[in-house]
Amino acid sequence: MITLTIDGQKIEVPEGTTVLNAARKAGIHIPTLCDHPHLKPYGGCRLCMVEIEGFRTLQASCTIPASNNMVVRTTSDQIRKARKFVLTLIFSERNHFCPYCQVSGSDCELQNAAYGEGMTHWPLQPNWQPYPMDASHPYFILEHNRCILCRRCIRACSELVGANTLGVEERGAKTFVIADLNVPLGESSCVSCGMCVQVCPTGALIDRRSAYRGQNTTVDHHQTVCVGCSVGCGLDILTRDQQLIRIDGNWDAKVNGGVTCKVGRFYPAFDDRERIKTPLVRKNGTLQPVSWEEALNAAAEKIKTASGDGLAALASTRLPLESLALFRQLFADRLRSEMVTSTEEGSRTAILSKWAEKLGKAFEGNIDQVHEAGAFFIMGADLINEHEVLGFFIRRRFPEGIKLIVVDEDQNQLGDLAHCALTPQKKSLAFLVKGLIAAVAKLGQNRIPFEGQPDEEVQKASSACGVASDLLLEAAFQLTNSEKPIIIYDPAMTNDEMMSLLITLSQTTGATMISIKGGANAMGAAQLGMDKSFKLNGHQVAYIAIGDEEPKEKIIQQIENCSGIIVQASYYSRLTAMADVVLPVVNWLEQDGHFINLDGRLQTATKALQPPETVWTNEAVLTALAEKLGMIIESDWESVATQRPSPVSIAA
Amino acid sequence: MSKPKVASDWMAGCAGCHMSLLDMDERIIQIAELVDLRSTPITDLKHPDESGVDVGILEGGINNTSNEEVAKMMRKRCKILVALGDCAVFGGVPAMRNFFTIEETLRRAYVETESTDAEGKIPDDPELAKPTRVRAVHEVVPVDIFVPGCPPDADTIFYVLSELAQGRRPVMKDDKLHWH
Repeated sequence: MITLTIDGQKIEVPEGTTVLNAARKAGIHIPTLCDHPHLKPYGGCRLCMVEIEGFRTLQASCTIPASNNMVVRTTSDQIRKARKFVLTLIFSERNHFCPYCQVSGSDCELQNAAYGEGMTHWPLQPNWQPYPMDASHPYFILEHNRCILCRRCIRACSELVGANTLGVEERGAKTFVIADLNVPLGESSCVSCGMCVQVCPTGALIDRRSAYRGQNTTVDHHQTVCVGCSVGCGLDILTRDQQLIRIDGNWDAKVNGGVTCKVGRFYPAFDDRERIKTPLVRKNGTLQPVSWEEALNAAAEKIKTASGDGLAALASTRLPLESLALFRQLFADRLRSEMVTSTEEGSRTAILSKWAEKLGKAFEGNIDQVHEAGAFFIMGADLINEHEVLGFFIRRRFPEGIKLIVVDEDQNQLGDLAHCALTPQKKSLAFLVKGLIAAVAKLGQNRIPFEGQPDEEVQKASSACGVASDLLLEAAFQLTNSEKPIIIYDPAMTNDEMMSLLITLSQTTGATMISIKGGANAMGAAQLGMDKSFKLNGHQVAYIAIGDEEPKEKIIQQIENCSGIIVQASYYSRLTAMADVVLPVVNWLEQDGHFINLDGRLQTATKALQPPETVWTNEAVLTALAEKLGMIIESDWESVATQRPSPVSIAA
Repeated sequence: MSKPKVASDWMAGCAGCHMSLLDMDERIIQIAELVDLRSTPITDLKHPDESGVDVGILEGGINNTSNEEVAKMMRKRCKILVALGDCAVFGGVPAMRNFFTIEETLRRAYVETESTDAEGKIPDDPELAKPTRVRAVHEVVPVDIFVPGCPPDADTIFYVLSELAQGRRPVMKDDKLHWH
């Protein structure tokens, strides 16, 4: 610990703390623009200048480390003059006209800084050069006239996301934020995660849907969990008058630390599916609006026509544990249906649960380890196109010298970034992993005994999978020569043999295993045993709680011949069009509940929006339906969800 | 002591700042009691007294030679010049046209608008003021007090006027300082 004095106040901070952070710790406000608590210090805007005894000139407090006995002053005539001058220059560079800017009023850090310095006008007028506006991106707009070149967007793009799409061209006053080699954002390598929009201090990056619809002082914030995939990012939902304004990554969420992708941030606001607002029952061939009473009676009648064997029930993995538990209780435990599963049919989780049972313990690690690993072995998981945030966490660590090994029989875009991209012939993945295990042994790095001749086995595997033995050795070297390696895999590509090989690989290299699970509550559904494949065999009635999920074509085809179809859904779809009874339910933003993400975090989702009046929660629908069938069901999700052995340790 | 004389005028603006002045409601009587209101766009007297006024208030930016004359006359005839509202302080909404040439803006306004027929032409009567780039007041004449806002609140204007009327210099900060 070191001690320094700021404005006469003695402050103790750990070595390496910047003067700015030391001041913040002591509750002393220093204005900043380019600084962002989740980005590395940059020292670009010079607004945070302070006087330090012994220094000839003012120093940027955001980059200068505090040292022992340092004496700092944050307010003096000289400092105030310098701050005003910095702001004067920034305002003169581009065209910052507040009255018609989206962030003016409370959300603009530049305006707030000017108010803080009591600026009533611009001492230097702008030079009236118009700057272009890049509106080529589907989700947000880059308005260069408002840009102050703080580079927060660029830093977020590389430091938080690892996309490295944004950068600058030219220098000095000609400096310009560009995408790739100066192409329109909409045509660039942008992954549309919107982190740049989330960190922009001015109105230079604004999101199309939320712009001009409310500011921080006029919106309500709700912290919830994204249901886009099994990463389960924490989100900050901004609403105003029961309307969705914007979605940001929740900086305080442990799993994602503020980072999120387009699925969480933009998809919900751009969802234009038609909402179902009233229960519907098919009469004379067409769906007619009816009361809840009538719809529930109709649903109960349909269900009664099918005995246990004749009833199939399917629930979305986007539903919270509370709903899934009730669903299972009603259909599997009470109505004795053999076919109760989830929309993902355990395609990823079933094999994991099986191996958890076999091993009698959790065998996978957690996402936090991704931030420390020195090498990644990615098998099958396409983290560019799904579970994107997990991909960001890996990509952003490239500057730290991490090694990436990508194995995929198909095209995997992560392979383009890999140090070792191994493309085995179709159906020879197992040989490749066998080869790797042998290669580790050949390098003498095996942590568990290897049976057989490593040399021979590498050669054998190499010819069987079509990957050169040198490449296998290279991958094995990188994996064993790095700290805390991680194996990230898609369980859908495994079978028992493959799982056994992956576990051996993890043991022999000391690597942690992490797998992607699919939907937000795929792990939850697995814990409830709703993980078998959905096969209809003479079932007459199908009950589908699809929630706000877009139904897959496969489901639609499978239930085509059922004589009774009951759908619990938020939006109209081809599935609801086939239904005999449609029960309108909340979407993900309108519900409370719990989700188990891919590394076993039991996360709480909270309601951000009030559902339409005639729309019920999934739990309410299931409970009312049970009553119509003369049954009482209660959600005991918490005990049920933790009973079954799980590949990950489940904890809140 | 006689009451301080106050004059105001508007230039390239929307008159909204003067509307906001009127929005102070009955407090305008207090102001009227404190000051001698001379020329304004909404009173009969149209030019500040030749003998001079204590406070001159200008709304709007300066977008032609006529505005220049108004600003210069006000500056010459007042002791304290107040720039009222974003157009006077920064250039404001009218200054958006600075991104185009004057030729382009005139052609758009008089020839190309959807409601203009084939007869549309740019007015060229020598009596007309010549359009210029839109400027903040302080780019043309020195300004003593800046009251930004689009428009400034009635409360802010009341504060500024009552301070000036009582011989004090208003301090624009905290809730009185906004640019939007």
